[in-house]
Order: sequence, then C-alpha cells, then structure tokens
Amino acid sequence: MADDKKSKPLMTGYMLSTQLLEIDGCNRCQECMKWCPTFDVRQDRPGITPMYKNAKWRELMARSHNLRSKIFGPKPLDEDEMTKFTEDVYSCTTCGVCGTVCEAGIKTVELWEAMRPNLVDRGNGPYGKQSLFPKLVAADKNPYMAKQEDRLCWLPKDAKVEESGKIAYFAGCTAAYRQQALAVATVRVLNELDVEFCMLGKDEWCCASAMVRTGQRPVMKDSAVHNVDALKDRGVETVLFACAGCLRNSAIDWPLWYEGNINYESMPLSAFLRDKIKEGAVEFKRPINYKVTYHDPCHNGRHLMHLKGKDWAFEAHRQVLQAIPGIQFQDMVRNRALQRCCGAGGGVKAGIPDLALDCAKARVKDAEEVGAEIVASSCPFCRRNIMDGRNAAGSSVKMLDVVELLAASMGLDTTIPENPYTKYQEQDVIVCEDVCKLETVERKEPGKDVVGEAH
Amino acid sequence: MAFYTLGLTFNIVILLTVIVLAVWIYGIYFNFKKWGIGSTGYHDQLRYSFWLFLATWIHEAFKDGLWVFIRTLILDVLVLRRTLARSPIRWIMHICMFYGFLTLAALSGLGLFMDIIEHFNLLGLAEQAEMVKGYMELPFDIFGYLLLIGATIAIFRRILIKFVRDNTSAYDAFLIGAVFLITITGFYAEWLRGNAFLVGDAFAYPIYAPHFALIHTLLALGLFAFVLPWSKYIHIIATPMTLLANRGGE
Repeated sequence: MADDKKSKPLMTGYMLSTQLLEIDGCNRCQECMKWCPTFDVRQDRPGITPMYKNAKWRELMARSHNLRSKIFGPKPLDEDEMTKFTEDVYSCTTCGVCGTVCEAGIKTVELWEAMRPNLVDRGNGPYGKQSLFPKLVAADKNPYMAKQEDRLCWLPKDAKVEESGKIAYFAGCTAAYRQQALAVATVRVLNELDVEFCMLGKDEWCCASAMVRTGQRPVMKDSAVHNVDALKDRGVETVLFACAGCLRNSAIDWPLWYEGNINYESMPLSAFLRDKIKEGAVEFKRPINYKVTYHDPCHNGRHLMHLKGKDWAFEAHRQVLQAIPGIQFQDMVRNRALQRCCGAGGGVKAGIPDLALDCAKARVKDAEEVGAEIVASSCPFCRRNIMDGRNAAGSSVKMLDVVELLAASMGLDTTIPENPYTKYQEQDVIVCEDVCKLETVERKEPGKDVVGEAH
Repeated sequence: MAFYTLGLTFNIVILLTVIVLAVWIYGIYFNFKKWGIGSTGYHDQLRYSFWLFLATWIHEAFKDGLWVFIRTLILDVLVLRRTLARSPIRWIMHICMFYGFLTLAALSGLGLFMDIIEHFNLLGLAEQAEMVKGYMELPFDIFGYLLLIGATIAIFRRILIKFVRDNTSAYDAFLIGAVFLITITGFYAEWLRGNAFLVGDAFAYPIYAPHFALIHTLLALGLFAFVLPWSKYIHIIATPMTLLANRGGE
C-alpha cells in the first residue's frame, strides 16, 4: 500500500481550475491566522492554518508540476510529509471565517472540501473515525446505528403531522435520535401556530453532510437524490430546518448532486418563526428571565449568508430571541460573519475530538465573558460540542436551541414521550412550571455512537 | 545615454528585453496550464488545458454579469476593499506597492518604447521621444517613492510585529527583501546622477551612476521574468484573477 501511494502524485481531480488559481492567489497576509478557531487553540501548529495549507499544497503539487519536474521528471512524495499534511487539512472545521477575512477573496470552505477528496482518493484521508461515516450511513441511513422506522418515535401522540403538504419539517438524525427535546419543541410550536406541515419519517435519510465535509463524496449522491425526491413527492414548497448542517446541505450540496429541478425553498426554522412573530401569530405566555447569547452556527451563518442573505443567516435567530419576554439578549464579541466556530464541524469532532473540545471551551469562554447564562443556537452539533466544552471547562452556562426557548415562553408542553432512545438523550432543557428552570439531562447509556454527534 | 556606457549597446538591451519578455510570457502560460490541471465544474473530469482554464475563469468571472465584473474590478482589485476592511495600515502598504510596482513597470515599458523610437528615429520622432522621456522622470520618482514607502512598511511590519515576524518564512523575507533592494538601488542610481527629486545633488557621484542603474535594471528584470512567474510572487497575477473569478469573494 505504501509503495502504491509513493508512486501517486498529489491528486487534483476534485479541484476546479479556479481553485488551483486560488492557491496561488494567497498573498500570505496572515489575516486568516488571526481568526482561525483551531489555530487559536493550537498555536504551536501553524500548519493547520489556511496560509500554510495553501503553501504546502503548492509545494507538494510542484513536485509533479513545476518546471523542474517537466525537465527532470517528478519527485516522489514523502509519505510522512503527506501524513502530516493530511492531519493539517483535517484539523479544520471548515467554518469559513478564513474566507470571510481573506484579502484575496479565496472561497476557502469549497477549497478545503475539494482538497479532502483528493487525499481520500490517494489513500491519505479521511482522518480517524471519520472513515466510519459512509459505512454507517450506507447501512442505516443515519450515523447512530438507529432504526429508520424509529425516526418519529419521539413524536407526541397528540401532535399533528401530515403525510404531505406545502411545508415540511426536516428534523435530521441528531434531533430524531439524540436531542429529541429540539424535535418535540419544533413540532409543538408549529402545531400551536396552526401550521400544517409534513415530515418524511422513515423516508428521511441522513443529509450526508459529514461525508461531504470529510471528502467522502460518493455516498452523498444517494442521500441527496433520495431526500430531494421524497420532498418533491410530497409536494413540498418550503422545507424548515432546525439543524444548520442539514440546511446547508439541502441548500448548497444537494443541488450539486441532484440532476432535476428542485422547486422547494430550504428555510431556517428561525426565519419562519420570526415571520410568524412579526405577523402577531405567536402568543407569549411566560417570561424567560435569563441572560441569553446566540452562537451563530457556521453552516447556516457564514456558509449560507451569500445564498440566502444575512437576514436569514444571522438576524432572524436573534429577532426570535429578542422577541421572547424576559430574555436579556447580549451578543458575544465575535458574532455573525466573524463568529468563532464551536469546533465540531468539518468532521473534527469525530476525527480529532480533543481539538473540537478545546475550540468549544474557547466558545464557552466567549459566552462567559458577556455574562450569558444560556447560549442559544440553531445547530444540534454546535449544541453537543459546546455542552462538552462547558462540561470540560466546569462552566455553568447552559446550551439550548432557539426554538426550545420559544416553546417554553409559549407555555407549551415539550415532554418527550418514552421511546427506545430516551436513555441516549443528553441535553440541557428548560423546564417551566411556575418559573422556568434550566436542567441538564444526563445520558443513561453510552449508546452505539461510534463517531460522536458531529459533522 | 549613460546606461549604454558599460559595454551595453542598444541591441544588447533589446535582446535582453526580448528574452525577459519571452521567459515571462512562458511563465504565465506555464501557470495557466498548471491551473488548467483542475476541472471545469463540480463533477467534471480533468482537462489539463491552458484554454479550458481561461474558459473556466471567464465563465466564473462573468457568472453574475458584466456589472458585477466591473464592480469587482474597481472595488476589490483596484481599491483593495477587502484589505481595507481588515487593516488600514496593510491597505496603505499594498496600495503603495501595487500602484508603485505596476506604474513603474508600465513606465519602464514606455521608456523602452521611447528608446526604440529615438534610436531608429521612427517617423522622425526622435526628438519628441527624448522629450517624453524627460517628462517621465517626475512620475518615475513619485511612483518610485510610493513603492519605497510600501516596501518599507512591509519590512517594518515583518520586523516589528511579533505575530507577523513569527510567521515570516525565508521565502517571504527573500521576496520582500528583493523588492526593497530593487527599489533602493533604483533610487541610489538616481541620486548618484545628481539633480534627483527631493534630494537634489546631495548624493551626486555620476561616475558610478551607470553601475547602479545596471544593477537595478538587472535585478528588476530578473525579478520580473525569473522570479515572478515561478514563485509566490505569482500572486500579483493570481490574486486579482481570484478576486474576479470569485466576484469579490465572500
């Protein structure tokens, strides 16, 4: 195997020619290094920053494609060097802040996601447990080794969910199996607002975000085509997402793999709820007397702001929180397009968990600095990782989803019915009786999570 | 002209210029072909084609229409909006270097063109060509100072700011040092000639002026043809092309 690899040059098959141009466009201004969340917690490893990754890719590519190699023949790649480079490329959460601040206008997320499949094809990637993603998703259609027929096992008996309709709620694997408080709150809120909506149930497959982020593209096609067809078959016009990873994939990645026309809109749930609040459809019954901050998930923030606009990416979530009576809202210093990634993305949580944890601790510190009691977000993966960071740092900050806070303030019953996955639940919850209190539900069994809850 | 007194003749200079331009053009072609190793679309196969790179670039750059292309060209390429948003000091540095470098290169080309007209007395315009060269002295000085300011900020930034210094490679140091050296030798050659902009004849020593002029010219041509297309300096071409292809980036 090692000999096979030695004979292979650096592959460029997944790189657009304009992406190879981008690598030479890096002028080494170092701006990306100041913002990179993983470098911030690994200052001894500049190799993980965009500037160094670009330089290394250029250097490795030059072994086969520079003038010298044209005259004297290509130089073989050193496998130790390739292993190190692979680790550097995978020590990136693909949060995209480097692209936001890049002077050369390099679209970095797309660039890293194009580098990785080349490393996978060459036999260097993916990294650590990331290689299990495609196997798990191909076998079970979710990364938790859970049963497809249990997709809606958390659904309260009195909840109204249609078989088909113009609006769909795409729950995602994590809300269905590991953070059911989010799914229950979403359904309760939509029911309370008399929104007729459908769900895919066992026809909902993993969005395959983790595969695309880690350079394991082939599984993507099945998931994208299946989910899009399932939504189209139900006559859906708007799909609501309470999971940033699924939303990004639906809006950006699925269209790259689906050959037909996609005629529905992928919408963040917060944007839909914000519009309902503005229409006066939401009746608030309780104040939530806590100081709350909002963590912008990369996937529905920076990744989506150019496609869907900054209002959907950043403002809608904040406006929902600010509309809730009692909440004292305070942004963290790094927010919106310059937000600090929680560390879970890009397969880092599964591949390099200690790095993900250190990034999460840094984000918890950001929240503590503004005196927040609750960090609200709209991404189950950010939630999972920030909770881990909070636990490791011994902080008292709680982590909740925007829609759970809204459900609590609307006085809705968000009790999760007993189901086969109750014992795997681990999440902060808000419990309201006379007053609302924050609690943490501990996991009773480790579950069969081979790769952790993260993209 | 004093420049030709060191055994260099007009013909040798023209020959050198042709070689330099040929190497430079080949370097650009080589890079375009290297970028052409990539694909033209998300699922497309590899082409390894100079022309398909150009086609892909044009497709990307004009994807959102001519107006977006022009807006990107003005705001992102010419005004360096993204740099200004992040660091005003770095923006001043880049603006000085960008416009200093480009204008001096253009003026050098124009100067050579005037030399050719003067040498062959093309259309009987030798006298006018010499006059034009006289008019070019002031812009040469002004844009030279601009480049000097930019190169000086770049060097001081690398030396004085710890974070920047710690992440400066030998490569960065060589290239910034080279620009600084070329700029300084150019100025020194001018000062030695006497009657230079701002400093007058304070450094006048005309005997050695041609030597410095020659060193400056060889360094500049060497950088232009033998370093720029083959090193990180290709970003002078690649960065504006990237900004245009990405319609200004994020």
